[in-house]
Amino acid sequence: MKMEEKPLSGPDNTRLEALMQDIYSELVEDACLGLCFEVHRAVKQGYFFLDETDQDSIKEFEIVDQPGVDIFGQVFNQWKNKECECPNCKRLIAASRFAPHLEKCLGMGRNSSRIANRRLASNNNISKSESDQEDNDDLNDNDWSYGAEKKSKKRKSDKNQNSPRRSKSLKHKNGELGTSISSDPYKQYNYNAGISYESLAPNEVRSLLTTQCGVISEHTKKMCTRSHRCPQHTDDQRRAIRLFLLGPSVPTLPDVDGDGFDVPDSQAVLSRLQWEDSPDISPADSASSKASGNHSDSRRPKKKKKPAAVAAALSMSGGGGGVNLMGVSGAVSQSTISLSTKKKKPKAAAAAAPSVSSIFNELN
Amino acid sequence: MSKEYQMRAAINQKLIEMGERERLKELLRAKLVECGWKDQLKAHCKDVIREKGLEHVTVEDLVTEVTPKGRALVPDSVKKELLQRIRAFLVQHAAV
Repeated sequence: MKMEEKPLSGPDNTRLEALMQDIYSELVEDACLGLCFEVHRAVKQGYFFLDETDQDSIKEFEIVDQPGVDIFGQVFNQWKNKECECPNCKRLIAASRFAPHLEKCLGMGRNSSRIANRRLASNNNISKSESDQEDNDDLNDNDWSYGAEKKSKKRKSDKNQNSPRRSKSLKHKNGELGTSISSDPYKQYNYNAGISYESLAPNEVRSLLTTQCGVISEHTKKMCTRSHRCPQHTDDQRRAIRLFLLGPSVPTLPDVDGDGFDVPDSQAVLSRLQWEDSPDISPADSASSKASGNHSDSRRPKKKKKPAAVAAALSMSGGGGGVNLMGVSGAVSQSTISLSTKKKKPKAAAAAAPSVSSIFNELN
Repeated sequence: MSKEYQMRAAINQKLIEMGERERLKELLRAKLVECGWKDQLKAHCKDVIREKGLEHVTVEDLVTEVTPKGRALVPDSVKKELLQRIRAFLVQHAAV
């Protein structure tokens, strides 16, 4: 309509502009019409006003902002203090603890089998020495639950891979358990399953004492399952326990007090015997360091004391009981050979110790 | 005049044939929703409906009430952009 009035002779621009405007307004009108049709249909079909709520519903579902109550008006801790009766053991359990209790009570669920196996294994450790493989598997199965367990699992497998003390991992396991107490979420179970010295035969006591601190706690009457360096007990306590449990004639290996100078050398010897780096937890390692009263680290780098090392090993064997002499001298001869052939860092001292304890184990 | 008319008809045809008209339409719709024009107009519709009564609203009612307001409510930026695109098209394809 407007267009027809524009002079043809006018500049093309204006025609262009006019055309543009026309096209634009057509498009806008299309949009408006589209909207009108949409709305009209919604009205006729009855869904136009659906997005509006009626007043009653608005009041009912209003947001609540009072203290002690959540946004819907519900009280937060309402069921916290309630107690439920367990259908299995008929005890009254707090509501928040009910599910874990059921898991253990009924023996179903992920953790209960693991705990049961672990308990069985620790019982088996005391009585026989074969269940270590299963223990390993069991503990190795923990890799999908807690990161802390991963640490203990890794440490365990590191130690066990190359050392000749594969068969001795049970004792090792006890020691491991003792040290992993601090990092393990299962630590409460370790404390509960502590070892009571009355139930053990002297052989087992001896073997335990070579790996663990063993000091008997006054209130629980149980032996401490931590390593020889456990900070809760002193060396004197450990010595006293060993005297008490094993008799004055046979103090166990780690406690030989005679040559504080030699013992670290024997440590160096044993370290050459082992190829692998091992972390802190080696029985003889920590034991001898304890016996000498110094940090074994300071004494380790002694590569020149071959004859002294042999003497030390012999003296060690003397301390461990005459019955151990053969085994240890065997170890010593091995160690002398290894001294000449290997120039490893003395950090492997810890690893060397297992060989000694394996000897003990065989004798036991 | 008819020449003008013919020219315009030809341009329109070209717009449609090349799909540019559809594109422009979609672009405009999207922009209007984005800038809230649609919601504004819908609210206005609600008022009109409440005024006229839910049962008796007709399309013509809505159109006559809503279109002028809709045309006025289009924001300037949207208008400018659309005009720009149209001009580009015309310059390119129209033998003006």
